[in-house]
Amino acid sequence: MGPKAIDAGRHPNIELLTYSEVEEVSGYVGNFVATIRKKARYVDHTLCNACEECVKVCPVSKPDEYQMGLSSRRAIYIPFPQAVPCSYILNMDDCLGNNPIACGKCADVCEKKAINYDDEDELVVREVGAVIVAIGLDVYDPTEMDEYGYTRHANVITSMEFERLICAGGPTAGHFVRPSDHERPKRIGFIQCVGSRNPKIGRPYCSNICCMNTIKDTLLLADHYPDTENFVFYQDIRAFGKSFEDMFQRSKETGTRYIRGLPGDVEEDPETGNLVVTVENTTQRGGNGRSGLERYELDMLVLSVGVIPPKDLAKISGMLTLSKTSDGFFMESHPKLKPVDAPTRGVFFAGFCESPKDIKDSVCQAGAASSRAGALLNAGQIQIEAITSRIDEIECKKCGLCAKICPYGAITWQKGEVATVIEAACAGCGSCGATCQFGAITMRHFTDDQLLAQVRAILARKPEDKVFVFACNWCSYAGGDMAGISRIKYSASNRVVRTMCSARVSEDMVLEAFRCGAPVVLVSGCHYADCHYINANRQTVVRVQRLWDKLEKAGVRPERLQLEWISAAEGQKFAKVMNQMEELRKTVTIKEIEHGREALKPKPKKAAKKKEAAATAG
Amino acid sequence: MATATTGNFRCMMCGHDYTDKVEKGEDRERSCPKCRSNSIRHMKKKAADK
Repeated sequence: MGPKAIDAGRHPNIELLTYSEVEEVSGYVGNFVATIRKKARYVDHTLCNACEECVKVCPVSKPDEYQMGLSSRRAIYIPFPQAVPCSYILNMDDCLGNNPIACGKCADVCEKKAINYDDEDELVVREVGAVIVAIGLDVYDPTEMDEYGYTRHANVITSMEFERLICAGGPTAGHFVRPSDHERPKRIGFIQCVGSRNPKIGRPYCSNICCMNTIKDTLLLADHYPDTENFVFYQDIRAFGKSFEDMFQRSKETGTRYIRGLPGDVEEDPETGNLVVTVENTTQRGGNGRSGLERYELDMLVLSVGVIPPKDLAKISGMLTLSKTSDGFFMESHPKLKPVDAPTRGVFFAGFCESPKDIKDSVCQAGAASSRAGALLNAGQIQIEAITSRIDEIECKKCGLCAKICPYGAITWQKGEVATVIEAACAGCGSCGATCQFGAITMRHFTDDQLLAQVRAILARKPEDKVFVFACNWCSYAGGDMAGISRIKYSASNRVVRTMCSARVSEDMVLEAFRCGAPVVLVSGCHYADCHYINANRQTVVRVQRLWDKLEKAGVRPERLQLEWISAAEGQKFAKVMNQMEELRKTVTIKEIEHGREALKPKPKKAAKKKEAAATAG
Repeated sequence: MATATTGNFRCMMCGHDYTDKVEKGEDRERSCPKCRSNSIRHMKKKAADK
């Protein structure tokens, strides 16, 4: 990756801000404003020629993070080989002090006078049209899975530490030795899925890269040290990419033994430092029909650790109003049709932050993301759906609730000021319109009046025979279509009103349906993970919870209101729910419907009551 | 780490009452362990007593 980074650094159209952190991003597609903190390096990289004289005199010794703590670095150092720019940085947390009297040796020997102890962080602002989020990954810390002895046994290492040990630029200059006695290990075990595919520790997903990384390591060992014996303990080997199966077969041909089963216990021989691994080999059957319990004595054990979402993900998520999957990675706009787009317009993903993937897939995604961003910027203008919100300045009571719940941050509001909609950022979910208690927000093409008129029209005749359904455009309405085209039979009593998102359905719309005599009402939308408006359907849940309370308070059976998540592929579920709703409808009596009509009538507000009383008195 | 408590839930489709873990700021889709319906009402203490 070094040459690529150098190319990027030299490109006239690329400004590379290294050792920097994004502090804030505001604005919207085409008009983002990013505030970036350029951290103080204490070394002027334009003067530094990386002569290394400062390193020679620095008296500080700290574990080198890049070498996984297997070697040390000075307080002044280059973070990793091929860093761009190739210049030292001074870590002030490690430095003996920026007072030259305390130390100052590096400044004394620097001929270029590149060291500046008074350097300070700098905030820079950049206006950008699109944002590509490529914040990478973190590696799982195996200390919590101590059954493998990572914290207790010196010769149990992680796959990252293995990479450093076998690397020519590593702490041992590529001489592969084990930590306890610096002898070359001859019998090496690899345990797969450490921190992956394990719901018990909250990481049920596959990390995608570990199997192939281990296969690569076994081939590397077989090539460099043909006398080593390698053992891989696995639950599945996932070698599905181009040439991956071939690599797997080659690894087996070199003599690497693949044992299906994850070890339950790792013990250390205190005299030799060797490790005894007990594993249930599920491909071997014992005489009693049970799987075979096997023990292996190994010189070294490598934990093939999984990957986890980067720790900065939540911060970036807040800045760019992005949502996360249940695994904690960023959620794309659409898993199949828009795999590099974020739900927020003008934001794209590349690499691990979206989901675990290997280098090839990351490069593909990065290419796609830059193309998408380039196309957006070159177009010079964007097309948006006409379904956006509009705020009536007169009706707006300046409460700011709409701005708080907008999943896209498309509504700007200051205390005491009227809220305004940034139409380029508005995706048209309508949750603001359903939340506004003052009727100040109009959702174009799905106005309150239009939707209420549909409710009234549907329930104008024989409402007691109908199952009233609000369905979101993308999932549950499409689920109904799927049921239809799949020729699945279901009750014909349902009447569907389509909204773009279930969050568009206001409390008043549901109550109006009951007032018009609906025996039962269903609000349906996308599953949590499928919400097409980041997380707007969470507002639906809040609203339905509140409605259940209201119905109960009014003496109306809350069961008459139902909530279901139905995806576009769940035609079967749509049909099942419609049949269940029909069964529920049959249990609702005319008396109950009439009670609901009366009990849910809007109560006149206090001000209106007073006005009425004054008029009567007058 | 999010702090977890337990809460009372009622399935509005089948009437099944159950308790489940509730985490502060959680973002998970709930469904009835009995009938898989998503009509899950988080019962406040008063409502749960009824």
